Amino acid sequence: MAASNNTEKEEEAILSLANKLRWDLGVDLHDIVIESIYEDATRIARKTVEIKGEQRGYYLDKSIDKIVTSRLLGFPIMFLVLAVVFWITIAGANYPSRLLSGLFLDTIHPFLKGFAANIGMPHWLTGVLVDGAYISVAWVVSVMLPPMAIFFPLFTLLEDLGYLPRVAFNMDSLFRKAGAHGKQALTLSMGFGCNAAGVIATRIIDSPRERLVAIITNNFSLCNGRWPTQILIATLFIGSAASPHWAGILSAGAVVGIAVLGIFFSLVVSWGLSKSILKGEASAFSLELPPYRPPRILKTLYTSLIDRSVFVLWRAIIFAAPAGVVIWLLANIQVSGSSLAEHFIHWANPFALLFGLNGVILLAYIIAIPANEIVIPTILMLTVVSTGIIGMGEGAGVLFQSGSLADIKDILQAGGWTLMTAVNLMLFSLLHNPCSTTIYTIYKETNSLKWTLVSTFLPVAIGLTVCFFVTQLWRLFML
Amino acid sequence: MNNQSNCENCSFHHKENLVRLGVAMNKADYVVAVAGNPNTGKSTVFNNLTGLRQHTGNWPGKTVTRAEGGFSYGGKFYKLVDLPGTYSLLSTSSEEEVARNFILFGKPDVTVIVADATRLERNLNLVLQILEITDRAVLCLNLMDEAKRNNINIDVRSLSKELGIPVIATNARQKTGMSELITTIEEIATGRFICRPHRIKSRSAKLNGAITILSEKLAQFFPGLPNLNWVALRLLEGDQRIIEAVETRELEKLGAELSTN
Amino acid sequence: MSNMINPAWALLIGVATLIFIGFIFWPNIGLISILLRSRHNTHREQVEDALKFLFDCEYKNIFCGLQSIASNLDISEEKAARLLGHLTSMGLIAVHGDTFSLTDSGRSYALQVIRLHRIWEKYLADVTGAGHLEWHEAADQKEHRLSIEEADRLAAQIGNPVFDPHGDPIPSSTGEIPEHTGQPLSALKVGDTGRIVHVEDEPKVIYAQLMALGLYPGTQLHVIESADGKIKFIANNEECLLTSHFASAVTVVLIPHEIQVNYALLSSLKLGEKAEIKGISPSCRGQQRRRLMDLGIIPGTLVTAELKSASGDPVAYRILGANIAIRKKQADHIFVNRVIAGQ
Repeated sequence: MAASNNTEKEEEAILSLANKLRWDLGVDLHDIVIESIYEDATRIARKTVEIKGEQRGYYLDKSIDKIVTSRLLGFPIMFLVLAVVFWITIAGANYPSRLLSGLFLDTIHPFLKGFAANIGMPHWLTGVLVDGAYISVAWVVSVMLPPMAIFFPLFTLLEDLGYLPRVAFNMDSLFRKAGAHGKQALTLSMGFGCNAAGVIATRIIDSPRERLVAIITNNFSLCNGRWPTQILIATLFIGSAASPHWAGILSAGAVVGIAVLGIFFSLVVSWGLSKSILKGEASAFSLELPPYRPPRILKTLYTSLIDRSVFVLWRAIIFAAPAGVVIWLLANIQVSGSSLAEHFIHWANPFALLFGLNGVILLAYIIAIPANEIVIPTILMLTVVSTGIIGMGEGAGVLFQSGSLADIKDILQAGGWTLMTAVNLMLFSLLHNPCSTTIYTIYKETNSLKWTLVSTFLPVAIGLTVCFFVTQLWRLFML
Repeated sequence: MNNQSNCENCSFHHKENLVRLGVAMNKADYVVAVAGNPNTGKSTVFNNLTGLRQHTGNWPGKTVTRAEGGFSYGGKFYKLVDLPGTYSLLSTSSEEEVARNFILFGKPDVTVIVADATRLERNLNLVLQILEITDRAVLCLNLMDEAKRNNINIDVRSLSKELGIPVIATNARQKTGMSELITTIEEIATGRFICRPHRIKSRSAKLNGAITILSEKLAQFFPGLPNLNWVALRLLEGDQRIIEAVETRELEKLGAELSTN
Repeated sequence: MSNMINPAWALLIGVATLIFIGFIFWPNIGLISILLRSRHNTHREQVEDALKFLFDCEYKNIFCGLQSIASNLDISEEKAARLLGHLTSMGLIAVHGDTFSLTDSGRSYALQVIRLHRIWEKYLADVTGAGHLEWHEAADQKEHRLSIEEADRLAAQIGNPVFDPHGDPIPSSTGEIPEHTGQPLSALKVGDTGRIVHVEDEPKVIYAQLMALGLYPGTQLHVIESADGKIKFIANNEECLLTSHFASAVTVVLIPHEIQVNYALLSSLKLGEKAEIKGISPSCRGQQRRRLMDLGIIPGTLVTAELKSASGDPVAYRILGANIAIRKKQADHIFVNRVIAGQ
C-alpha cells in the first residue's frame, strides 16, 4: 500500500509540475508550438523544393474556379448541375423501378403464395410473411434501389471531381446568415438522395453545434423516398387543375416548389436553432478547395454503390419487413366487426381533418415510418379497406399501386380527397418525422436521445402547424 | 534502441493496445499505419498497398471511420490501418485524436506518411509532428506527376536527409513507386533501416527549458519512454489523454516494453 | 366537412396556441427560462461571492473592509455584517479588528469557486462563440451550480486550460494558483512594450470600453505617450488613449521585442494581392484559432487573395500551395503586411 501511495504522489507531482510550468509559459503556448513546427517546415522546404517556370495545373484550376465561383455564373451553374443530377435520377430510375416491381410483385409474389399454399402454410402466416413482410421489402427495394444507385454515384463523381467544395464555398454566406456551417449545403444536397446518408455526411462539419443544426435540419431535404409521392400527387391533383397543355409544367413546378420550400425551412429552422436551443455564433469556416482531379468513373460507381446505396438499402430492408407485418396485421385483425386500421382511421379522422389530411393519411404515415416509399401504397390499401370499394386492390393488408393513374385518383377521391388534401399531403410529406433509418442514424451519430427526439418531433410539429394554417386559410377564402 | 537493429523478426507494436484500439490482430506480423493530410491521395496509396477499394473522397476529412487491410511480403503479413486525414495532430478534434492515439499507444511498426509533392511545405507540418511521436516512419511523396506538371522540383535525397527517414516518390494513381514503398516498409519493420527522425529545432529557449525540466521528471518515473520531450510538451498543452496516461501509468508500460524488447 | 368548426375561429385558436407556446418556451424571456433563472439559491451565492471577493483582495494585496464587501455584493452593510458573522461561524474566515482574512478552508472553498468560474468563462469563450460581455455574467451564475466533477470534465474537454479568457490563472483542481504577476498598464513608461495578461471585468462600463478597443489578454501594446494621468499606446494597429483610471484595469507584462505597427487586415486584400501574415488577433481563440494555424496562418507565411465566392464572402486565399476559403469575419482577425508585386 505504501508503495502505491508513493507512486500516486509521484504522478501528482508530475502533473502539478506541468501546471506550474504552464503558468510560467503564458497564454500563447500553443501558438509558439505550432510556429516552431512551421519554422522547421519552412526551412526544410526551402532547402529541398525548387519551383521554376509556370504552374500549369494550377492555372487551369484557377480558370475553372473563376467560372464556377463567379458572381454571375456561380449559382446558375450550381442549380443546373443539381437539376441535371435530379433529372437523371428520376428519369433514369423509372424504368428499372418498374422492372423490379414487375419481377418482385407480379412474378415472385404469386409464386411465393402458391408455394405457401402448396406446403399448407396457415392463412395468417402467409399473410404476415408473404403479403406483409415480403411485399413491403420488395416495394422498398424496387422504389428505393434504382434512384439511389443512380443518385449516389453521380454525387460521388461530383465529389471526386472537386466540385462539391465549390458548392459549399458559394453557398456559405447563406448558411452563415442562418448561423450554420457552409458545408451544410453539401449535407443538405446529400439529403436529397437519402436523409440517413445526409446525416452521416455531417461528419465533415467539425463544430459540434453546427453539426447538430445540420443533422436536425437534414430532414427538410426532400429525399428520394419522397420524390415519387410528390410527383404522383402533383400529377394527379395539381397538374389536372390546369389545362392539359400546362399540366406537366405545373406539376413539375409544384414538386420543385416543395423541394425549394424544404431548403427554405432548412435555413429558417437552422436560424431558429442557432438563436435558441443551439445558441451560438457561426464558427470559423475554413475549407480547402482541393485541385480538380479527373474522377475515375468505374471505380466510383463500384465504391459508391458499396459505400452508400447498399448500406442505406440494407437498413431500409431491416426496418421495412416489420412494418409490412404491422400493416398486414392492422388491416386483418378484426375487433367488433371492423379491423384495427378502420378503428384508428375512424377515431383519428376528426383530428386529421383539422390539418386538411385524413385518418388514412395519418395512419399511413405512422405505419410508414420505416420507409417513406410505402406511404402511397399504404394510403391506397387503407382507403380501399376503409371505404369498402369493390374490385380494387389486392385484399386487406396487401400493398399495391397497380392500375392506371385514373384508378388511383378514383380511389383517393372516393376517400374524400380534394385539391386541398393533395396540397396538404405534399406539405406533410416534406414536413414530417424522418424515416426510422434516419432516426436510428441520428441516434448513432449524436449518441443523444434528446437530440434524436428533437430531430424527430420538430419537423412533425412544424408540418402540422403549416398544414393547419394552410387548411384553415384555404377554407376561409375558398369556401 | 540499439537492440532493435539486431532483431530481424521482432515486432515493435503494442499488441494489447492495438486490440483495445479495435484492430483485429490475428496473423499480423507487423502493423503499418497510413497517415497524411486530406487530399494527398492517402486512400489511393492505402488501396494500392492492400488491393482494397476503399472510397477515396476529394474532400477534407473524408475517412471518418478507420479502414484496415493488409499485404504479404517476404513471408510476413503486414496489417495496414488507414488513419483519418488531418492537417495536424494538435487541435484535439476527434479524427486527430484517433490518429494521434493510434501512433502513440498502438506503436505501429511503421508509419507511412503520405504527402502531396505539390504542397510539401504545408504537409511537412503534419510530417514533423508525427516524427515527434514515432521514429519508425517513411514519407511517401505522392502526386509526383502533378508536381512535375507544375514545374516543382523536389530533391528527394536531401529531403530524406533532413527528415532522417526514407522518402519514396510515388504516383499512387499510376501505381508507380509502390514496390519501392513496400521494400522500405519491410526494411523499417524488420529494423534493417534505423530512422534518425528530425526533431523540432526552432523552439524558444523558455519553452525548451520547460520541456527539459518536465521530461527529466518524466524520465525518472517512466524510464525507457522513447518520446519523452513530446510527452512533456503534450502535458504542457494540457492534453487530457496524456494526463490520463500519466495517471493510469499507461506510459510506464509503453516505455517498459521497449526496454525489454 | 360541414360539422367542422368555423375556419376563422380555428385560425384564431391556432394563433392563440402558438402565442401561448411561445410565451412558455421562448428562450431567455419565456416562462420556463424565467422560472429556471429565479430558482437559484441566493444564500449559497452570497457566501461564495463573499469568499471570492475576499480571496481577490488577498491575491491582489488590497485592503478589504465591511464597506467594500457590501458594495461588491450589492447588499446593505447590515446584511454584509450578518453574512460575515455567518462565514466566521462556518470557520471560513477569521476576524481581526476590522479586517477579515480567509481561513485555509475558506481559501480552498474560494479557489474552488474561482476555478469553476474561470473554467466556465474559458469554455464559453473557446467553444460556444458567446460574446465577451456574456462570459462573466453567465459564469457568475454557473459557478454556484456546476459540480466539481462537471467542471473537471469540462476542463478536460477544452484541454485543461490554465488561464481564463481574461488572462487570469485558473486554480488547479488541488487548489494551487501562481503568484500574482504583471503590472497595471498605467504604470508603463513611454517606449515600453507589453503583453496584456489580464483585463479586469468589473466595473462593467470600463470593461465594455476596453473590449471595444480590442484589449484582450494576449494583445501586444506599445506605449507612445504618458502624461497628465493619460496614457497613449498602439494596440491592434490603432492608437488608443486611456485615462489612468481605465488603464489600471489592464494588467500587462513587459516583453522585449518591439511590435510593428500599421498592419492591414487579411480581409482588406483585393483579389490578386499578396501579403505576409503577421499574426492572428487574440480575440480569435480556441478551436477556431487552432484550425487557422493548422491551415498555415502563421506569422511569415505568404498569402494571396485568390477567389471570391459567388456571394462575395468567403474569399479563398492561396496559402502554402492550397486554396483555403475563409469567411470575412475570420479574415478580419488576421493581420498582414502587403507585399508589393515584384518583390
